[in-house]
Amino acid sequence: MDAWVSAILSGVLLGLAYGLAAIGLNLIWGVMKVINLSHGAFIALGMFAAYFVFHSFGISPFVSVILILALGVVVGMLAYFVALHRVISAPELSTLLSTYSLSLIIIGLGTFVFTTNPRAIDVGLGSIKLFGAYIPASKVLTGLYSLIFTAALYVFLFKTWTGKAIRAVSMNMTAAQFMGVNTTFILSLSFGIGIALAMVAGALIASVFPFTILSGGIYELKSFVICVLGGLGSPLGALAGGLLLGLLENVLTLKMPVGYVPFIEFLILVVILLVKPSGLLGKE
Amino acid sequence: MADVILQVEKLSTGYGEVQILWEVSIQAKRGQLTTIIGSNGSGKTTLLRAITGIIPAWSGRIIFNGEDITNVPAYKRADMGLIMVPEGRMLFPEMTVYENLEMGAYNKRARQKIKESLEFVLHLFPRLKERLNQKAGTMSGGEQQMVALGRGLMGCPELLILDEPSLGLAPKLVLDVFDVVKKLREEGITMLLVEQNVHLSLMLTDWAYVMAEGRVVMEGSGEELEKSDEVRKAYLGI
Repeated sequence: MDAWVSAILSGVLLGLAYGLAAIGLNLIWGVMKVINLSHGAFIALGMFAAYFVFHSFGISPFVSVILILALGVVVGMLAYFVALHRVISAPELSTLLSTYSLSLIIIGLGTFVFTTNPRAIDVGLGSIKLFGAYIPASKVLTGLYSLIFTAALYVFLFKTWTGKAIRAVSMNMTAAQFMGVNTTFILSLSFGIGIALAMVAGALIASVFPFTILSGGIYELKSFVICVLGGLGSPLGALAGGLLLGLLENVLTLKMPVGYVPFIEFLILVVILLVKPSGLLGKE
Repeated sequence: MADVILQVEKLSTGYGEVQILWEVSIQAKRGQLTTIIGSNGSGKTTLLRAITGIIPAWSGRIIFNGEDITNVPAYKRADMGLIMVPEGRMLFPEMTVYENLEMGAYNKRARQKIKESLEFVLHLFPRLKERLNQKAGTMSGGEQQMVALGRGLMGCPELLILDEPSLGLAPKLVLDVFDVVKKLREEGITMLLVEQNVHLSLMLTDWAYVMAEGRVVMEGSGEELEKSDEVRKAYLGI
C-alpha cells in the first residue's frame, strides 16, 4: 500500500518537473515554430549550474533556482541571436540543424570541462511523511517549485503586456507587428524563457537524481513525449502530459524493470502519433 | 487647407528581384478619407506593406507627421500612430475579443487612453459588448471585421489604414462596414482606405488614387473619378 502511495506521489511530483521542462519546449514551438533540439543540453546546464552553486557557495538549489532562471533567460536570449535569428524565417530544417548544433557544442564542451562522471546534489533535507509514505523533501520541493513556476508563467502570459505580446506573436506575427510589438525582442525573450524553464527544471531534478552532462537527453525525450501527449502549442496540455508521464514511470516500475520504462514511453509516443497526432488535449 | 499627415514620395519597392512599385507618390490629409483603388495585382497591398514597414523601401521616402519614417522599423510606426487594419482581419484567434482590443492599445501612446478608447469602440460597435469574453476565432466574418476595426481604433490612430475591409463579406455586411467608415470620417478620424468596392469607396472618399501595374495612373476627388470614363470602364463595369 505504502509503495503505491509513494509511487503515485513521486509520479505527480516528478511529473510536474517534467511538465515544466516540456512547457519550455512548448513555448518555443508555439511562439517561434522551432523544435528546440538543444533543450536537453540546457536541462543539463541547469543541473550543473545548481551543482556548482551548491558546492562552491553552499547555496541550495531551491534558492539558486531563481538565479538560474535569470541566467537562463539571458543565456537563451543570447543563444537566440547567435543561433536562430538569421534562420528564423528559413524552412524548419534550418532551425532544427541550428538548435542541434547548439546542443552538440554545449554537450561537447560540457564533456570536456565536467567529464561524464556522475554527480549528485545532496540537499540533506530528509524525508516528509505524506499519506503514510516517506517522500524525500527535495522531491516534494521539486514538485512544488515546478507548480509555482508554471503558475507564474501563466500569470506572466495572461496578465502582463509583454506576456500578451508573446501570445499575440504566437498567433499572428505580422498582426502583432502592426500593434507595435517588437517581434525580434519577443522572439528572443520567448527563447530565453523556454531555455530558462529547461534550466530550472534541470536544477530541480538535479536535487532528486544523480546526473551527468549527458543526462539532459533523457529529459529532452521526455519533454517531446509530453508535448505529443498534451499537444504541441498547448501549455496546459504539457503540464497534464507531464503528470501522466511521471505517474506512468513511477507506478509501472512497481511491476516491471526500470529498463522497460523508456520502451513504454515511446510506445505511447508512437501510438499517439498514429491515433491522435494533435495530442490528447490538442486541437483539431 | 488641411495639412498632410502621410506623404509617400517616389516610392519603389518589390520582393526579391521583382519590382512591384514604380515611383509611387501619394498623400493623405488630416481629417480626410483617402482611397486607393485598383485591380488585383496593381500594387495596393505592396504599397501598404511598405507604408507600414513590413517590407523595406528600395528608393523614395515615406514621411509621416513631418518625420521621415522610411527606415523606421514597423513596430515603431505603430507607436507614432500609424495603425493598420490588415486585409483578412488577422485577429488573434485564441484571444478573447477583449484581449484583441487590448492588444490594439499595445503601442505606447494608446496605453494611457485605453479606457476612453474602449468606451469609444463599444459605443461604435455595441454588439461587441456582450462578446467581450468570446474567443475571436469563434466569431463570424462580419463580427471579426468589427473586432479588427475596433482593435485598430484602440491604437489611437493618427492615420488609420484599412486594407480591403469589405473583402469576403456578405453584401449586407459590406454596407455595414462602409457605414462604419462613414461614421469614423464624421468623427474626424484620418483614414487611408484600400478597396475593391470602387463604387462605395468613391461615394465616401475625399480624394482617391487609381493604381495599375505598380503606378499611380490617376487621381482626383471621388466625384471626379466616378464620372471619369476610364474608371467607369475599368472598375465599375458600366
